[in-house]
Amino acid sequence: MSQIQAQFAELQELTYAANPSAADEAHGPDGEVKPHWVYLLDSLRVLGPAALADRHTKAHRILRDDGATYDIGSDIGSQGRTWELDLVPSLISSEEWARIEAGLLERAELFDLLLKDLYGPRSLLRTRVIPPEALFSHAGFLRACQGMPLPTPRSLLMHAVDLFRAPDGELCVLDDRTQVPSGAGYALENRTVMSRILPSLFRDSHVHRLAGFFQHLRMTLNALAPQDQPRIVVLTPGSHSKTYFEHAHLANYLGFRLVQSGDLVVMDGYVWMKSLEGLSRVDVILRQVEDSYCDPVELRNDSQFGVPNLMEVVRAGRVAICNPIGVGALENPILLKYMPEIARALLGREPRLRALETYWCGNAQDMAYVQDHLEHLMIKPAFRGGQQSSINASLLSRKERDALMQRLHADPLQYVAQPLVQASTLPTFADNQLVPRPAILRSFAVASQSSYLIMPGGLTRSGLKQPLTVIANQQGTHSKDTWVIASEPERLLTQMSDDDGSSVREADLMGLPSRVVENMFWMGRYAERAEASMRLLRTVFVLINGEEPISQPCRRILLETVSHITATTPGFVGADDAAIAAPEAALLRTINDTSLSGSVRSTLNAMLYCAEQSKEMLSSDMLRVINDISDALQTLDADQSAQLASAPEEALDPLVTALMALAGLANESMVRGYSWRFMEIGRRLERAQQTTAILRHLLLPDCQPHDQQTLISALLLTLESLISYRRRYRAQMSVRASLELVLMDRDNPRSLHYQINTLHQHILALPKSMASHHELLAEERSALQAETLIRLSVLSELSVRENGKLAHLAQNLETLKHLLDTISNAVSDKYFDHRESSQQLVHSIWEND
Amino acid sequence: MDYRIKHITEYRYNNRVSHCYNMAHLMPRDTGRQRCQNAAVAVVPEMAFSSTREDYFGNVAYHFEIQRPHKHLVITASSDVQTQAQTVGGDLSDGPSCRSVRRQLSAPNDADTLDSREFVLNSPAVHVSAPLREYAQASFRDDRPFLAAVMDLTTRIYQEFKYDPESTTVATPLAEVIENRHGVCQDFAHLQIGCLRALGFSAKYVSGYLETLPPPGKEKLIGADASHAWISVFVPQQGWVEFDPTNNCLAGEQHIVTAWGRDYFDVTPLKGVIFGGGDNPSLRVSVDVARVAPAAS
Repeated sequence: MSQIQAQFAELQELTYAANPSAADEAHGPDGEVKPHWVYLLDSLRVLGPAALADRHTKAHRILRDDGATYDIGSDIGSQGRTWELDLVPSLISSEEWARIEAGLLERAELFDLLLKDLYGPRSLLRTRVIPPEALFSHAGFLRACQGMPLPTPRSLLMHAVDLFRAPDGELCVLDDRTQVPSGAGYALENRTVMSRILPSLFRDSHVHRLAGFFQHLRMTLNALAPQDQPRIVVLTPGSHSKTYFEHAHLANYLGFRLVQSGDLVVMDGYVWMKSLEGLSRVDVILRQVEDSYCDPVELRNDSQFGVPNLMEVVRAGRVAICNPIGVGALENPILLKYMPEIARALLGREPRLRALETYWCGNAQDMAYVQDHLEHLMIKPAFRGGQQSSINASLLSRKERDALMQRLHADPLQYVAQPLVQASTLPTFADNQLVPRPAILRSFAVASQSSYLIMPGGLTRSGLKQPLTVIANQQGTHSKDTWVIASEPERLLTQMSDDDGSSVREADLMGLPSRVVENMFWMGRYAERAEASMRLLRTVFVLINGEEPISQPCRRILLETVSHITATTPGFVGADDAAIAAPEAALLRTINDTSLSGSVRSTLNAMLYCAEQSKEMLSSDMLRVINDISDALQTLDADQSAQLASAPEEALDPLVTALMALAGLANESMVRGYSWRFMEIGRRLERAQQTTAILRHLLLPDCQPHDQQTLISALLLTLESLISYRRRYRAQMSVRASLELVLMDRDNPRSLHYQINTLHQHILALPKSMASHHELLAEERSALQAETLIRLSVLSELSVRENGKLAHLAQNLETLKHLLDTISNAVSDKYFDHRESSQQLVHSIWEND
Repeated sequence: MDYRIKHITEYRYNNRVSHCYNMAHLMPRDTGRQRCQNAAVAVVPEMAFSSTREDYFGNVAYHFEIQRPHKHLVITASSDVQTQAQTVGGDLSDGPSCRSVRRQLSAPNDADTLDSREFVLNSPAVHVSAPLREYAQASFRDDRPFLAAVMDLTTRIYQEFKYDPESTTVATPLAEVIENRHGVCQDFAHLQIGCLRALGFSAKYVSGYLETLPPPGKEKLIGADASHAWISVFVPQQGWVEFDPTNNCLAGEQHIVTAWGRDYFDVTPLKGVIFGGGDNPSLRVSVDVARVAPAAS
């Protein structure tokens, strides 16, 4: 082989060489590839860098379409960072996994006993196993949780552990996560994507499946309430939470309702969900909200994510929380120091899993050690929820280290130190090659009837650089699927007894949260509002840039209509002649200015926000289109100077098309439940109001016949009815004919009659109280009245102009506007939650604040 | 001594409150020198739900929720309490020295001493600091009898800090109190707790009432009393001893305990969440501590 050929072959093949300075997962100490890695590394070599890069792109797209994000920014409408998945899985052999699993099982059991003791008799303190300060100085220990009951033998329901392989080859514990052990949902998503992207590799590798873990989680949650089919919800802090994707994903996968603080209310000693049909009782809450935020009455008084008085309901045993509130006491690294003694006291033996050596500054000997070895240590706050983060003391100057020591001496109880260790590396695909990257594994345990069940594998995260303590979800961190390789193919999981197919999805036992239907309603409205605005803007651009000159009065009417329809008044309304003569800059702002309420961009951002809030109601196709809209918005940004300046109307086309696609998909892929219906109500109401307004602004003004023609064609163009008009009338633009088409024609999906007729049908289908059998509700009456008004219209009366005025039309449009407002208010008052904002009665200070 | 206590808390809101959830520490607990015979809380408007429990510190916590709109909330806590003076008294120079107390706390021989160490630690409103330590130091010579030293600190706070109800709010940081040298009973209690903890002693916050006696020859005014706060300090082998820095004394028969905790925020008389209500609600509190004839026992 010539040199060039060899180089070429190298480019085509993916090979992996470990870095000799750290232990590597794929290689033994002898440098040989470990047997369970051979198949994967061989397959990747054959696949080659180009193909793997191609699959990576596909995987990224799937994740994005699934809405898999981490750390959504706080900007409204921002879509967050797409979850990063590296396609090279982490492999663990069955033999090794059996040992790890045993260690994790034992640790979960140990932590369960520990939790019971810390919030119970505290015998570990009495018997001097741990000093009282180790517990009492930790802000995760919540005194309000003393003696809280739990109806199952296991108090700790979920337990996550971060593991790494130490240089000596042993798997060690880095820390424990219990409050909101995130990652299981991401592991599930990683698995789904991997099995699609690398199907044959996945199939041939005989990977242990994850489904059993989630089935157990469901059974465990079901067992928390005495009823046969307890009503279970997933409580999320909301769509701005870093891990909101996971909350929605888990809720969907498990079939539970996803709720936020405002959806739940404590009343008469129970927890209720505010739904469309009224209040439905909640029996079990799988919470994604941290301990101290769960109840603003007893815990952090400034929390907006909890449910007031929740703790009292838990105490009365009328709702169960998973994980129980107070488990944050276990996320205390000081306990790591005492874990061997704790295990001897509670289990009668040392734990199988070793934890990373931990020094506590509250212990005099440890403090002396820290003082002497500071430059080799990572300093961590004992309480994770505070303002401070970990400090790698090796990176500090002498002066900074002195300052750090002073801080430790000032508040020694609050700090621990751990050695800077090198985690073992894993092959990771970066820059078209396989490179060694340090990695940690988060494992997950869920309580089962007798003990715990460990998810086979877990969530692997690989970071750019050592030491391992900085491998968290920071910039450049990738996640990996974790494959526990079975020595023989796993038998297919049989259906669990509770899943006999006849059981109802838990979510369907309860109505929809009012918040969700409200968001669907507004999503429909904003989508329609954006579409109407863009259609009008397109028309106006075409007309004012067209070859036929437009008179100044006509131009003014068109531009004023833009300001009215987009609700960006005053805008062009009452603007001076110069502004009317050169409207381009102001029109562009109407499209693109985020800070201008009513601009296309801000309306679309509002729509995206509503979509994010009710994500779990949307089909995956719709989520894809929503991604497209968010993309198109980005492009609009880039195009602003270039494209918008020349043919601005074309820059809007992709957005209009995407919105149409969204509307189409809503009709083709959503179940005809209330969420779909409210979206439709929002859409029809908005379109009816917009059409009424456009008719008012473009038809009513008295102007020259030629201008009237222009305005009618603008109306027809905007309402997408120009072609039908020409086909039907082949005549000059007349008020009468255009009214027939856009006001009265029930078969024209853009006509006012069509909107109001559809709206009326939806309103009749809404849930009602039994109050009255015969009297119509306000919204029903208004819809009937509006529909009747249109049907009884006499075109010759409406289109006759007397003294320059279309008096009849003006009055009818005014009445219609009023009726539509009445419908909107009645629907909103009746079905949406108008919770006043809460405040603290007195301002309190919370632990460690 | 037998007392009947009436503690009325009244909120007036600018806007309607649609519903609210509250937790109160308004029912006196039992202590070594005090028995609460009856306690009840009445709320207007009508409560939808209420519950009573014992909290972490053994206090009585009362929860209630109101589910009807209101602009005016009145909470009336009534109780009958029988109190005695503390068993320590007279000569405070009996008992262990400061050095001995410190030594026993660091190597406890009994569960009570070990448990008391929770009250050496920082709490939401009390963080030890160098100024606190420096201020406290002067009273605590190693060989001085511990309780005499605490009394000395109590007296110094009484003499060197000005009682000034206008000067602070509940949320006044301790650093400001020690800097400006004035405050109210809560501040003085926090201050003394901070001083004791800074030197490694266990101290807790006691919330309650103090019977005030009218000037000679005058009738006592109803509602002239107020809720009060003082401290309790732990002496190994002996237990908790209460001191009142606002009045420069040991707590006596006229000190009626409602609840104790690490600081004010463990025993806030009334806290909670309201929905609506607008800004700046007006608050009126009136307390009446009346001596009654001893209940037949």
